[in-house]
Amino acid sequence: MSGEDCDPMDRGENDGQKPDKMFTLKKWNAVAMWSWDVECDTCAICRVQVMDACLRCQGESKKDSYGKQDCVVVWGECNHSFHFCCMSLWVKQNNRCPLCQQEWSIQRMGK
Amino acid sequence: MSGIAKTPVLAEEGGNNQSRKRSLHSSSEQCNNKRTKSDEMSANEKKSNFSMLTPNSNGTVKLTSTSMNKPGATTKKLVIKNFKSKPNLPENYQETTWSKLREAVIAIQTSKAIAYSLEELYQAVENMCSHKMASQLYVNLTNLVEAHVKANIEQFLSESMDRQVFLKRMDDCWRAHCRQMIMIRSIFLYLDRTYVLQNPSIHSIWEMGLDLFRHHIAMNTLVQTRTVDGLLTLIERERGGDAVDISLLKSLLRMLSDLQIYQDAFEHKFLQATERMYAAEGQRLMRELAVPQYLAHVEKRLKEENERLLHYLDPSTKWQLIHTIERQLLSEHLTGILGKGLEALMDGPRLADLTTLYALFSRVKDGLSELCNHFNAYIKKKGRTIVIEPERDKTMVGELLEFKEQLDHVVNACFQRNDKFLYSMREAFEYFINQRQNKPAELIEFKEQLDHVVNACFQRNDKFLYSMREAFEYFINQRQNKPAELIEFKEQLDHVVNACFQRNDKFLYSMREAFEYFINQRQNKPAELIEFKEQLDHVVNACFQRNDKFLYSMREAFEYFINQRQNKPAELIEFKEQLDHVVNACFQRNDKFLYSMREAFEYFINQRQNKPAELIAKFVDVKLRAGNKEATEEELERLLDKIMVLFRFIHGKDVFEAFYKKDLAKRLLVGKSASVDAEKSMLSKLKQECGGGFTCKLEGMFKDMELSKDINITYKQHLAASQEGGGLELSVYILTQGFWPSYPPVDVRLPAELTRHQDHFTKFYLAKHSGRKLQWQATLGHCVLRAHFTQGNKELQVSLFQALCLLLFNDGDNLSFEDIKTATNIEEGELRRTLQSLACGKARVLSKSPRGREVDDADSFAFNADFTNKLFRIKINQIQMKETSEEQKATEERVFQDRQYQIDAAIVRVMKMRKALSHNLLISELYNQLKFPVKPADLKKRIESLIDRDYMERDKDNPNQYNYVA
Repeated sequence: MSGEDCDPMDRGENDGQKPDKMFTLKKWNAVAMWSWDVECDTCAICRVQVMDACLRCQGESKKDSYGKQDCVVVWGECNHSFHFCCMSLWVKQNNRCPLCQQEWSIQRMGK
Repeated sequence: MSGIAKTPVLAEEGGNNQSRKRSLHSSSEQCNNKRTKSDEMSANEKKSNFSMLTPNSNGTVKLTSTSMNKPGATTKKLVIKNFKSKPNLPENYQETTWSKLREAVIAIQTSKAIAYSLEELYQAVENMCSHKMASQLYVNLTNLVEAHVKANIEQFLSESMDRQVFLKRMDDCWRAHCRQMIMIRSIFLYLDRTYVLQNPSIHSIWEMGLDLFRHHIAMNTLVQTRTVDGLLTLIERERGGDAVDISLLKSLLRMLSDLQIYQDAFEHKFLQATERMYAAEGQRLMRELAVPQYLAHVEKRLKEENERLLHYLDPSTKWQLIHTIERQLLSEHLTGILGKGLEALMDGPRLADLTTLYALFSRVKDGLSELCNHFNAYIKKKGRTIVIEPERDKTMVGELLEFKEQLDHVVNACFQRNDKFLYSMREAFEYFINQRQNKPAELIEFKEQLDHVVNACFQRNDKFLYSMREAFEYFINQRQNKPAELIEFKEQLDHVVNACFQRNDKFLYSMREAFEYFINQRQNKPAELIEFKEQLDHVVNACFQRNDKFLYSMREAFEYFINQRQNKPAELIEFKEQLDHVVNACFQRNDKFLYSMREAFEYFINQRQNKPAELIAKFVDVKLRAGNKEATEEELERLLDKIMVLFRFIHGKDVFEAFYKKDLAKRLLVGKSASVDAEKSMLSKLKQECGGGFTCKLEGMFKDMELSKDINITYKQHLAASQEGGGLELSVYILTQGFWPSYPPVDVRLPAELTRHQDHFTKFYLAKHSGRKLQWQATLGHCVLRAHFTQGNKELQVSLFQALCLLLFNDGDNLSFEDIKTATNIEEGELRRTLQSLACGKARVLSKSPRGREVDDADSFAFNADFTNKLFRIKINQIQMKETSEEQKATEERVFQDRQYQIDAAIVRVMKMRKALSHNLLISELYNQLKFPVKPADLKKRIESLIDRDYMERDKDNPNQYNYVA
């Protein structure tokens, strides 16, 4: 797009509507960092940061396309969070939260 | 077959010459078969022992096959009966026959005509043998020959004979002797074939002749010495390049081997003479000739000696002769040749000469390993100078690549891809490329020393010098084997001392040189320019009392300089004139020199922290960045391949990764990446080299970029559907924390409109991805602003911070620094830089009062309505933070942190496996496992930390032993 082409058109519009504004924001390229919304950033079961894949997934070195998706975070009713992989192994032995010993039931899953 | 049985046949068919000759030949053929091995080979020209015999024996051999068959073909029956009585011989038969033979032999020996026919003589011999007079005949013949040989010796004993003549005569005598003996043997052939054959203890006639010759002439000490000496002189003259009678040499040497005294009498002396000659020649030529010429000479010599072997020397001498030459010309001078010439040859690189060098050295023992060692040392030396000198950092990677290529070429072309050399080269590269590891502790120590030096030098020259020397001694002990570095450093110090304390002229010169250096280094390095500008600022502030004229002139020069990026000598000269002006002015105040010196030291020390790993990462960044139009895709690809070669040598790969990641983030977020293909290709190369673990985060960064694109598309559709947004076009890069470098969170106050957009997007995003939270990174945001000036509308490309500042002027005309600070909540230093870029930069959309290039707290700003620019779209550059010190330190710190975890993990792994381990064993095991350089002290600290955290414990009985705690 060539600037000169739009110029007369823009001016007409702006002159008519808001002549007092010297600057108008046209475009904003923002940057944001996402992370899991957790209280403790380490998974208590595998002792790896929840942002990284769990130990098991790292060991199997699952590749880019699935590695991340598979290793999501899960929150219990007690609001404690773990890797979903770690927790699903844990509940097979003991259906309680490893941190607070409450009965484990999933509140929500990360995606 | 006996002599007696044959006699009747002879009598019966007495007149038939033809048949007798046939039987003679057939018998001679049979005898031939039974002869000794040496005789069988007589047909061979090369065989020396009977070399003189061969021409005459030819006729004999030819007839044999036909003569054997003919008697069997006759049909007539022949009955052979014995005579009734034995035939009688005349009384004096023996005497008369011998006198006849004697006469004939003497005639042969004196080269006169023989009175009797040869056939008659032969028959006489045959008859005598048949009548048992063979032994007497043999003794008589021996005496006769001996007498003749004895007589011959006289001519060689006379004094003062010319060597040439002597050799000639000796040769003649030998040839004559051979000729005579052949003749005599032919006559006495029957004796040779019967009597001699049946008595193994006596020599054949030919050998008897040789034996007598050897005994009476050749073994005579005087004659032998003269002959051998004569031969050696001849050979020496031939080696010297004179033309000599090669056939004479050949014939005489043949004689010596025929007489079987070649080895005893000649070879030993010959080899000694050769050794003497080449030892002298080797030493002389090593002094006189350059190495390539010397090598060519050695090659020539070897070729000549091989020809000599072909032409006249006995082949048995070959091994010893060649070996002697190799020893004297090469083995003795291995180090000399390499020390003197290898560097020059490699620098060339003179491929042909190197090929010769390799070929020659591969001939001698230890030659190749010696060459390999020097080759290795050369690479290390050359590589070190590239890597260690801070001034060369800018070009280091390029130079290394070039250097490596050159070496590869040499090894391939000249060293036949010898594995040893390839390995050695690799080892040398690895050695020098890791020479400049980061050693914080050491550097701090070093800096303390230098501080000491600087402090001392403020007071007294002598003290400074002394202290410097002391510091050096300490330094040398601390870091061995770094002479190049020391020399360089010393030169710098000497220079500073001379320049600052004694001679101002020199200082002027040094500064001019420094400027030249700056000018040469000037390729696309904004950071450096900024630093330089700061230095100049300082000079102007300190020395020129902030004279406006100077400030203005400097600014102008810089603007000009930054805009004109090409190498144009005229501009450079203009720039240099400006700088010269500054230099002339600043000489007036010496006080400032000390400060400047301290700064120079700081600069120098900071330079030392740059490591190859970091520089390589930055080099890649420059190459992958958009706007780098230097290379086509293929060239870039090849370049990346070469860089990977260097990368392989780097120990601190994590350092590389950290810097690479930081640069990659910048490229991706600002959209400065030249080509996605090149980025992906680099990534796959790294993956191949270091495995998926190394690159998974880098890959994640690319994936984030793609996911962000999708999200923005769906967000736009969402906006269109809900009819919200409007006016502002928002796009967001959503980055996964952990993949990207961490950026410090900044809390700024956004205008309500922006907050609304931001919240709207957050809501949209979290609805799609539950369980996540978003952290907005204000520092990385960019905006496009439409601005309305009296001269027309413009579009400004600015950072978010710049946009926030500008948007404030929609509501107020004149804002103070403090106003802006409270309104935006931007961190003070950051805000100062931001306002500077808007009010003091190239595109001044704001005006500042009072004027000036620094932003002070009391300054106020206003909208510059009269702003003009010939472009419609204007990018207002941010003023960058001094990336060199802070950002770099942060990156290094992060690397250091990561390494600690790796060390911990390694310790626990080892201990878990071994359960109990002594300190030293644990340390050595760790060195095997850890891929990066680490100091024992660091390992100790980590062990302590693990003990504190109950991962392991010290053994109660043995403090040097650790136990794993499960």
